[in-house]
Amino acid sequence: MNKLPLTLTASLLAALFSVPVVAQNTAPAPAKRPNIVVILADDMGFSDLGSFGSEIKTPNLDSLANDGVRFTNFYTHASSSPTRSMLLTGVDTHLNGLGNMDEWTAPNQWGLDGYEGYLNNRVATVPQLLKNSGYHTYMVGKWHMGKTPEQIPAARGFERDFSLLDGAGSYWDMTNFTAASPKSVFTEDGRYLTELPKDYYATETYTDKMIGFIDANHGDGKPFFAYVSHQAPHDPYHLPPEWRSRHVGEYDKGWDAVRQERLKRQIELGIMPKDTKLAERMWFLPDPITLAPATRAILGQKMELYAGMVENLDSHVGRLIDHLKKIGEYENTIFLVFGDNGAEGNDLFKMIAGTPGTRDFLFGAINWSQTDPKAWGDPGSYVAYGPMWAQVSMTPFSQYKGWLAEGGIRNGLIVSGPNVKRQKGSINDGLMHVADIMPTLLDVAGASYPKTIDGRELPALIGTSWSKMLAGQAESPRSEQDYLGWEVFGNRAVRQGDWKLRWQYEPLGKGDWELFNVTADPAERHDLAAKNPEKLRAMLALWDSYVKTNNVILPSRSAFEVLKDQLPPRVPDDPGYPPLVYKRQFVPPKDMTAAPKP
Amino acid sequence: MKNNETSKRFPCLRVATGTLFAIGLLCASQAQAQVPGRFYWKTLSDSSAVPLIVESISGNTNPFDPSHLVTAGGSFDATMALGGYAQTFTLMDRAAMAAVILPMGRLSGEARSRSGTSINQSSNGFGDPMLEFNINVIGPKAQKNIPDALRYEPGFSLDLLADLALPIGQYDSNQALNLGQNRWYGRVGAPMIMQLGLWVPGRRTTLELLPAAWIFGENNNYVGQTLKTDPLFQLDAHLTRDFTENIWGALDGSWYSGGKATINSVAGTKRNDVAFGLTLGYKVNNNMNLTVGYKSTVNDSAPGDMRMDSFMATLVFGWHPLIEGSRRLAGDK
Repeated sequence: MNKLPLTLTASLLAALFSVPVVAQNTAPAPAKRPNIVVILADDMGFSDLGSFGSEIKTPNLDSLANDGVRFTNFYTHASSSPTRSMLLTGVDTHLNGLGNMDEWTAPNQWGLDGYEGYLNNRVATVPQLLKNSGYHTYMVGKWHMGKTPEQIPAARGFERDFSLLDGAGSYWDMTNFTAASPKSVFTEDGRYLTELPKDYYATETYTDKMIGFIDANHGDGKPFFAYVSHQAPHDPYHLPPEWRSRHVGEYDKGWDAVRQERLKRQIELGIMPKDTKLAERMWFLPDPITLAPATRAILGQKMELYAGMVENLDSHVGRLIDHLKKIGEYENTIFLVFGDNGAEGNDLFKMIAGTPGTRDFLFGAINWSQTDPKAWGDPGSYVAYGPMWAQVSMTPFSQYKGWLAEGGIRNGLIVSGPNVKRQKGSINDGLMHVADIMPTLLDVAGASYPKTIDGRELPALIGTSWSKMLAGQAESPRSEQDYLGWEVFGNRAVRQGDWKLRWQYEPLGKGDWELFNVTADPAERHDLAAKNPEKLRAMLALWDSYVKTNNVILPSRSAFEVLKDQLPPRVPDDPGYPPLVYKRQFVPPKDMTAAPKP
Repeated sequence: MKNNETSKRFPCLRVATGTLFAIGLLCASQAQAQVPGRFYWKTLSDSSAVPLIVESISGNTNPFDPSHLVTAGGSFDATMALGGYAQTFTLMDRAAMAAVILPMGRLSGEARSRSGTSINQSSNGFGDPMLEFNINVIGPKAQKNIPDALRYEPGFSLDLLADLALPIGQYDSNQALNLGQNRWYGRVGAPMIMQLGLWVPGRRTTLELLPAAWIFGENNNYVGQTLKTDPLFQLDAHLTRDFTENIWGALDGSWYSGGKATINSVAGTKRNDVAFGLTLGYKVNNNMNLTVGYKSTVNDSAPGDMRMDSFMATLVFGWHPLIEGSRRLAGDK
């Protein structure tokens, strides 16, 4: 895509390989094509795996990193369904139906193509194309891209599925969050479930189901595509008791200390360059060393639970890996592992819990009121770890889910398997995007992207295959001229080469364009817009191109439209200010002390 | 931050203080011989508590006498109160408690005279104060700060307990019925807590056992005679369960064996009696706990069997300087 916008290049590629959807194979398939397992962790942050610098113990996911490659410059979208839509279609959100999240579609977007709030029927999906190419296609876990019969996984290419159609919910049962929508909706193999299996626990059940799907057809000679779309570690942090107490007291030290420790490990591992600086502590968060031990203990317990969620997830991924080894499929399986967006720093429960006197408050009182820390993890509890720990999960980046700072959209990616010819355990910083997965997997399967589907012309893919890169023939799928674009909730960004242009609502943004060199300043501490007017203009031109190419319609309402009035005024995070709070007790020289004279 | 934003943003401060005394701080002794369920749950070191216990007791034995010398055919009624003070502290990294309980009240009933005839007697005033020391040996370490208190779960806890009564209570050597016992006596025991299931307020369940042995000195002036009492084995059991975060209940049982009394070398029979009861507990607020209960002996129809039943109410007020200071700063009432 040298010197061409990403979308234009994708269009050319699509045109080049365009064939009807039913005739996919463009080259003789290898004797045994690899299986594909995509493990998507919901709201898991960049630094939450041991192999990305975390203290959280993730030996199974780390084993994939050791067998494969870690990618440190991989971008998703800033929130769930937009990322998922691009993962499964390779098409920009504003064209595939997730131009905005269903939950936040603005009045001026209602009824418009690309803003349906579900995966529209003008795009093809990875499972659809792989299925037509001879793959078994399985899905477990969170879908979040539509609930009606024509929108569910079975209708979008999955041969078998056990899916949560909602964006989140209880891990223990079908309880959802609001009085208007009190029950989570699940499907299994295209049928809406009236109840959940006995002893249901989301992460465990999803894994069991996926293993069952794989086993059911194992031996028929066909490879499989497994989309393991875990709900974990999305809040609420529901967790079996034995997983809740693996880090007791470990996070009492506070978020600053844990961020510093993670960055140190990241530099030691080579995940981040050695001169990397941490992003600002969000100005509305206290310095944890100024907090009482009890406060740190309670807030730390939330992170303990989150760590348990990630470790529990890792354990179940380990079960799947072990099973694939047991049935002899591991060596012929490509794994892709990543989080769907930045870690969650917003207070989702506050948004949905209502206030006293409202129906949602009453619903919450009945279903979500297990607030005692001893009950955290149980059904009826709703724990999320807040912006302070979200920043830890996104070390060293700034901000978190929902925002287009690096902390909202940059995630760790692991790819391992037979197509990865790079050195095992190596790290790569090529510029990558979640929409690249569609063309990459088509390459893996020996399939191509069709021009039409059901008589409708398909939009161009915006991604670029990683095939050469995974083979060690390139360091990045993109050139310095290729660019990536994002827009959700009215926040906007473009990245090209080292540079990133960003517009965000106040106060996390400036309500104006900011310009960062994210290679030199991944923490986005220094807005260079004023100093680089030419670069700013060039990046703005890319933004305009992105808008035109992808049908971007800025929302008239946003989840963040009144945030400025809710947060305290933004101030710098100068360490040690004010000295009034930080200056320690003066201790006089011992030889100058004396008792009072009588 | 404006408008007390810190406390809004960190409601854990409220949770921390709210949790502290929610764990049954220093429920008081029901009587010198028995305590209600949850008495040996641990709380923050350096906490203080003042218990007030009121009991209405009737039966054929003196409730102020922990050996419960049975008067066949006798009938006693007592209205008694116990006031006290307890302090928790850390000893060798373990949770420890020291307490003093002072019984007081009125006692009347039918007793045997020296000639064997039945006479009515009564007594009032203060009984023998009892000192108690308890230290945990198996289980969570002492709660030296609020995070420790927040994380407390008993799991399986085993304590060592020692009681000593000081023979300074009201005593009239001319009558058998007294509040004081005119002798040294005490107890050693091993309170146990077995946590059953999760430790979530509103859902906590415990099985609690107290095996103990009472040891009695001689009363050389028991209506002019010498009263000796063999050691008495005690086993208390409580199955406790939260009903809500603030209300709990318990099924109580007790078994006493031994304690044969000898008066002027004439031996009586040893005790072997069983009692059952119910207790309801209520956390009034973060400082105050209330329990009410009833207990009665069973299989007590034979003349020599101990027969006793009692209604009991306890009110315990507990505090810790850190919690009280936090409350004042937060403006909580």
